[in-house]
This record gives sequence, C-alpha cells and structure tokens, in this order.
Amino acid sequence: MKKYILKRSLQSVVTICLVIFAVFMMLRMMPTSGYFTRDDYLNMTEEMRTVYLKNLGVLDPPLTQFKNFVTKLAQGDLGRSITVYPKLNISTILKEKIGYSAAFGLASMVISMGIGMPMGMLMARKKDKFIDHLGTGYAVIVRSIPSLIYLFLVQVWVSKIFNLPMLFYKNRPESWILPALSLSLSSIAWYAIWLRRFMVDEENREYIKFAKVKGFSQKYIMRKHVLRNAMLPIAIGIPSDLLLIISGSLIIENLYSIPGMGGLLISSIKQMDNNLVQILVLIYSSLSVIGVFLGDLLVVLVDPRIRLSESEG
Amino acid sequence: MKKTVVWLIVLTMLTSVLSGCSSKPGGKSEVSYEDVYYGAFSADYKTLNPYFLTSAAAYTIVGNSMDGLVENDKYGTVVPSLAKEWNNNEDYTVWTFKLREGVYWVDHLGNKTEYEVTADDFVEGIRYIADPKNGAKNFSTISKVIEGLYDYYWDLDDIDEGEDIGKTREEVLASFEETVGVKALDKYTVEYTLTSSTPFFLSYLIIELFYPMEKAFLDKVGEDYATSMDTMLYNGGYYISTWEMDKLIVLTKNEHYWDKDNITVKELNFQKVGDEITSLEMFQRGELTGCGVSADQLKALKGTEWEKYIFLKDKTTVNFWFTMNFQSKNQEFKTFVNNLNFRKALLHGLDRVKISAIYEPNDPEFFIRNTIIPEDTLYDPKGVDYTDYPNLKSIKENNPYDPAKAKEYMLKAVAELTNPDGTIKGLSPQKIDMGNIAEFESDAKLPVELVLATTTDPIETKKALLIAEMLKQNLGEENIKVLVGYAANSFQDEVFSPMHFDMVDDSYSFRFADPSANLARLTTDGSLNEGGYDIPEFDRLVEEASKENDIEKRYELFSQAEKYMLENVYLMPYMTGGGSYSMSKELPYQTPKGGFGLTRFKMKGAKIQNKPVTTEQYNELRELHEKEVQEKFGKGK
Repeated sequence: MKKYILKRSLQSVVTICLVIFAVFMMLRMMPTSGYFTRDDYLNMTEEMRTVYLKNLGVLDPPLTQFKNFVTKLAQGDLGRSITVYPKLNISTILKEKIGYSAAFGLASMVISMGIGMPMGMLMARKKDKFIDHLGTGYAVIVRSIPSLIYLFLVQVWVSKIFNLPMLFYKNRPESWILPALSLSLSSIAWYAIWLRRFMVDEENREYIKFAKVKGFSQKYIMRKHVLRNAMLPIAIGIPSDLLLIISGSLIIENLYSIPGMGGLLISSIKQMDNNLVQILVLIYSSLSVIGVFLGDLLVVLVDPRIRLSESEG
Repeated sequence: MKKTVVWLIVLTMLTSVLSGCSSKPGGKSEVSYEDVYYGAFSADYKTLNPYFLTSAAAYTIVGNSMDGLVENDKYGTVVPSLAKEWNNNEDYTVWTFKLREGVYWVDHLGNKTEYEVTADDFVEGIRYIADPKNGAKNFSTISKVIEGLYDYYWDLDDIDEGEDIGKTREEVLASFEETVGVKALDKYTVEYTLTSSTPFFLSYLIIELFYPMEKAFLDKVGEDYATSMDTMLYNGGYYISTWEMDKLIVLTKNEHYWDKDNITVKELNFQKVGDEITSLEMFQRGELTGCGVSADQLKALKGTEWEKYIFLKDKTTVNFWFTMNFQSKNQEFKTFVNNLNFRKALLHGLDRVKISAIYEPNDPEFFIRNTIIPEDTLYDPKGVDYTDYPNLKSIKENNPYDPAKAKEYMLKAVAELTNPDGTIKGLSPQKIDMGNIAEFESDAKLPVELVLATTTDPIETKKALLIAEMLKQNLGEENIKVLVGYAANSFQDEVFSPMHFDMVDDSYSFRFADPSANLARLTTDGSLNEGGYDIPEFDRLVEEASKENDIEKRYELFSQAEKYMLENVYLMPYMTGGGSYSMSKELPYQTPKGGFGLTRFKMKGAKIQNKPVTTEQYNELRELHEKEVQEKFGKGK
C-alpha cells in the first residue's frame, strides 16, 4: 500500500509538471496581440506596444520566462495579473474569490448528496412506482432542458414568489438560498439517477437473491450489501468533486453576481493573462490529479475486496 | 394527492398576493429625491488606476473620486476644478494654473490625510506616465503635447533596451524637471510648456493622464498602487468606501471636498449585474436607479405600464465608419477602390438607415452621421458648431444614399476600368489568399470581388449580410460580388494587422476638443489609416490647420481637410454610437456633460426621483436644457 502511494505521488507530480510546462510553452506561442485591446491598437504606436510587451517580460526567450516563473513560484510569489486585473497580486485575487466558490460548491454538494442519494434509494426501492417515475421525470427534465432556461426562471419567478433577492449579497443569508439551490438542481438528478441504477443492478445479483432466500430483512440487505456496492462507482468521483468545488460555476455566478472563480480561467485565457492562466492551470491540474488519487484510495476503504497493488493480493 | 392540490392552491394564492404587493411606480404621490444611486455594471472594472482606465464603469468610479485641474459643467463648458484660475501666453504654448488652496487627499475611510493637493502632484502624475516601466497605455495621446515628454520616454526606453545614449537611467530621471514641460512654480502654481501652440489645451486636462498623484503615497504602496481601495487616495466628490472585486463598489460622499455643496447624492452604489434581463427586472422591483432597454425588451415593454418611462439617451461622439483597403491583396478590388467613381458608387450604394435599424429599429435616422468629427461637440468662440461650417454643412445634412447615383457611378467605373469583354484592364487570373478571411480565385473579370470582413457575432453577421445584399442590388450583381469573411478569434490579428479585408467597419472614439483629435490620426501615416491610403493633399491641409491658432480659421481649414477626405471617399462615416433606450429615476441634464474625457461621468448635481422619469418629463427637461444652452451661447448654436 505504502509503495503504491509513493509511486502514485511521484507520478502525480510528474503529470502536474508536464501540464504546467506544456501550457506555459503553448501560451508563449500565441501572438502577442492578445495583450492589447482594439482601443490599445488605435491609441498606441507600434514602438509603444513593443515597450509595453518588453516591460511585461514576454519578449524574453520562453525558457528564461519559464525559469523566472518557477523560481518565483518556489519563493511563494504567484506573480501579478496582467490584463484581467492589471497589476493585482494573483494571491489576492484567489484569496478573495476561492472562498465564494468553495462555499457555494460545498453547499451544493451537501444539498445534492443529501437530497439526491435518498431520492435514488427511494426510487430504487419503489422501482416502477409513481415516485420512481416522478424522480425519473425530474431527472429527464433537468438534464435535457438547457440549464440556462430553468435557471433564469428560478431567478426571476422563484425570487418573486418567495420575495427573495435576485442577486447574492454577502450579508443577507436569504440571498444564498437560490444560487445554492440552482447549483444543485442538476447534480441532485445525477446522484439520484446513478444511485438508482447501480442499486437496481445490484439487487438483481445472485448473491442478493441468495441473501433474500436466507431470510435477511429487506432493510438489512439494502444497507449492508446493495447500497455499499452501489456506492462504489459514485465514491470514486467524490474526492475530485470535493476538491474542484473551488472552480465555481460560470452561469450561476454570473446570474447571481457571485464574485467567485467561475469564468476566471476562461476570461484569463481570452484576455491572454498568461500569469493568471498558469497559476489557475497549476491549481486545477493539481487538484484533479490529487482528486483522482484520493478517489482510488477511497474505493479501498469502501470496498475491502479491492487491492491497489498486486504484490499484496 | 389531496395535499398536493392544497399546496398548489396555497402557492398560487401566495403568488398573486405577493405580486399584488410589489410596489407599482407612477402613483400621484409627491416627488421626493433619494440619497443613494444604485447602478449596475456588467463588464468587470479591471483596474481603477487612473492612468490605465479601460471601461466606462472604471471611468465612472475614477471620474467621481478624482478631480483634475478643470472639469465640464452641465452645458459642456470647461469650468475650474482644482485649478481656480489659469492663463496662457499669446501663442498658446505656455499655460499656467493657480490651484485651489487647502484641498487635501482623503483615504478610503473618508479621513483627511496629511497630504495636500499641490502643484507637485500634477508634476508627479506626468512623471509617472512618462516612465515606460509603468506601462500607461493611453500615453501616446499626450506624448507629443508636452514639451520634452516624448524624448524623455524614449530615452528611458533606449536605456532599458541596453542602448548607450551617453546617459544613465538615473541621469535621465533626474533631468525630468529641466527637460519635460511641466513645472511647479510654487506650491500652488503649475505650468505646462507645450510643443506647439494648442488653443484647445484645456480639453486635454479632463483626460485622466493629466490627473494629479501624491508621490509620497505612491512610494509607500509601490506596485500595489490603486489595486485596492486602501492603496489609492481621493480628491474628488466621493471616496471608495467598499470595493469587493467583481461584485460591489460603493462611493461615499467626501465631506472634505472643496465643492461638497454640489454633491447632491450621498452614496453611489454599483453592483455587478450579469445580464440585461436581470437589470430590467431589478429596476422594475425598485432595486436599481436605472437600466438600459434593449431592442427586444423595448418590444416586450410596448403596451405595458412601463412604456411611458422609456426614453432615448443622447448620441455619443463615438463614430462608426467603413474603411476600404487601398492596398488590398485582392487585385480586382484594389484596382477598383483606387478609382473615385467606384468609391462614390459604394458611398451612394450603402443605405445607412437600414444598417442603423439593426441596432435601433425604432428611430434609425436619428443615428446617421455623415461627418468624421461628431456634431454638437466643437464650437468656435461665436458658438458655431464645427460641423456647420460651410465646407461640411451640406455633407452633414444630406444622407448620401441614392441607388440611382450608385449605379451611375458604378457604370462609369466599369467603363473606365474594364475592357468591352468584361475583363479588368491590366489584370490576369490569380489566386487570392487572405488567411482565415477569404481564399478564392480571382478571374480578373467582372463582377468585382469585395471581401467584407466581419465577426461571428450575430449582429455583426447580420449587418455584413445586409450590406452584401445592398451592394448587390444597388451596384448590380453583374458588377460586384461581396464575399463575407469571418474572423473567428482576434479581429486585430486576422483582419486589421495583416490587412485581410477589402471593406470593414468599426467604431472610433473622440478624445479631445479639436478636429485634429481624429483628423490628425487619419493622415497617411496616422494610426487610424487602416486602409493604407496615400493622400498628400489631406496631410498638407491637416498640417496647415494644426498650425493655425485662431479657432475660426483653424476650424475652417480643418473642415476643408475633412471635406476633401469625404468628397474623395477615402472613408465612409455612417453612424453614431450611444443613444440607447433607457429607464431611470435620475433626472437628465443635471450632471456634467461632454463628448470625451473623465469629468462627464461625474454625478455632481444629480437628482434622483423616488419614481421613474417619464418620457414626457424627459423631453420637457431636454427642451429646457436646450433653451438654457441657447441663452448661454447665443444664437450660433
């Protein structure tokens, strides 16, 4: 087990380094005009643009730039944003933004697991009954209609009916309800539908039938065998979901004006804020790699039959 | 099941009660005024560093929290701000400003700091932008205005480049006071020495680049300057009391402000609202002071109780024009565009009203503009609008759209440039490669191919297709064939920089109170000459006009240059910017007005009603304002 963890950790580090290096070099291959807006082009002369780029340090050879980036990073300096928030420290930007996205992400995860999982279990138990159809209907609607439509309806109508604010305000707790709920609508359906599916699959297995014949109660079978096995495929994804809550949601954060991380990566790529892109890629790729790693470990905990390294098997 | 039905009934009742409760404006209650302005911004205000401003949202914040030497009043005239008086020498090259005494910078808590606003602060502001290391992007607007500034900047850059210019960076920095034309004569007197005579110099001073900066404070915060509310200082009517990135920014009245009696609204509260649907809904619920109304929303609001509140905002000085590529890689177009008759055919063949209707279906004629320099912006001492000068008046007033003329000119061009068998003189078939925009075989025969570059934005695409259809109909399918080319990523990289277009349009802003603001940039070497024309006659006229100090003569000469440009169709202006539909509780025409600069965003003197301004009220106030303007400036206007 220890050996496995060590090996995987090393692999993860190598992966992250490769991703960072590749992204860094690819950003340097982009045309430098991305650093300027159309207005800049009309206002600045060719020479002034060169001066500007030179002072940003982007005219140095890419490898020198990469070396500078790594040295600074090692000293804990994340650098400053270039175009998205000119001259602002990236650490300040992240400090302000991560909290919002993490809070809403976590709330939504709790809500969607708290509602989605019992819903899935209920649907599995009442398979082909009214409640199952209702749940399936919900899932089909939520997953097939473009989310923008019902998210808008929730924002405008639900806020009107319950007299809730249309935007998020830090000091008004009632304004947190709609965004957290909206963020969960689709994942509730995801948890419910997959848990139901795995449980129904599991219930048809021979060993369950055997347990039934042995006379175990339905409740006992469900809890001890069906649920535990059905949880397995879902559990793998939980750690990375949990870690990546900080990435935020583009649509919801925009709709409710939450100053979170959603859209930050996209806008930094669009505006060629290379410093910001690098740091975000570093963070997201590290979290994904760690998430997958933890997911594998979690599976061992949930299901003792699984061994991670052959030598111990 | 019964329970569900009961719940449904309860919900329905609740909805109707609540919607009945929501406040409906427009009652006959008495008008009172509010203390807080609730505004919205959609794009991020990226930075509030006064020298790097990019968006209107940021202009509003900085315009209200910082003052320069002068500002505009509600009639658009220049009035004293931090400078209480000024004078200039005879040829307008040396300007001296006497500052108001006892004005102090305040911090983000609204407390007076130890720093007084002195003449040095204005010198430091220029020193800051003059260092290439600080990267002030708009610097070129003023780099050639102040004596010595241009050389100072490039000396520093040469040194940074590692070139030996016989001086060290420190020596150049130390020479600032002697070489650059801005000096603090004493604590309250600042003097600017200019490179050439500039009678309109005052209009430069409302550009952020001339704003003061407290050096001692800058040294304290260093590179973090203006990245948060506590790393900047304020000397305007408001200070920033809350700044949550991408969320909320609150400006609170500065109790130490020199003109605090005219700060009528105590707090300006701007929050980020992601889209126009939300902002309209919030306005209707009374959560915002005003909101824009899009063309679609306008349709939806027709016939509702809200219709009576919708008004049309004034046009701006932003101008849209078509650029033609005189050096096109497309040989057929290149041959034709260098022929005046063909350019006239294009000029008369474009229906501006139809194009404008894409943006503003209800009143498209209102937005047509046929001149390069915007109307209602520049007035000579007699109050005559620059665009009403004899050279331009008829161009300004006559929409050139005329299909019959277009066809006539096209046939003339065809007769001059083609052989009887339809082949174009002097050309042979060739492959044309315009990168991502277009790639085709030119057969060196009629119809002439015209590559119209556009973006994948739905409105832009619609506009391009409309123009293509217009030209086909008005110039004849047998004569012209429009190829619409789409730039998918960067318009600058794919279209403008490599000149991969035959015709393209864009909007251009106007930056200070002189025709040279745009005309000097449109010369053969100018930065706005994106079509690569070569017009020595125009260059000569602009140069001559730039040297003239008498405003009337100056305008006369510039209008001659502009007339030359427009009559020879080197450029085709067609539409103004701005003028969107809006609803608001803020009374119009109370705050500083202007076509450019920062002070037009000031909320000085603003009045916010407790109910939305009706269209009727808006029009009454506009008439009143126009009457006042007329009385103020005399009959010329």
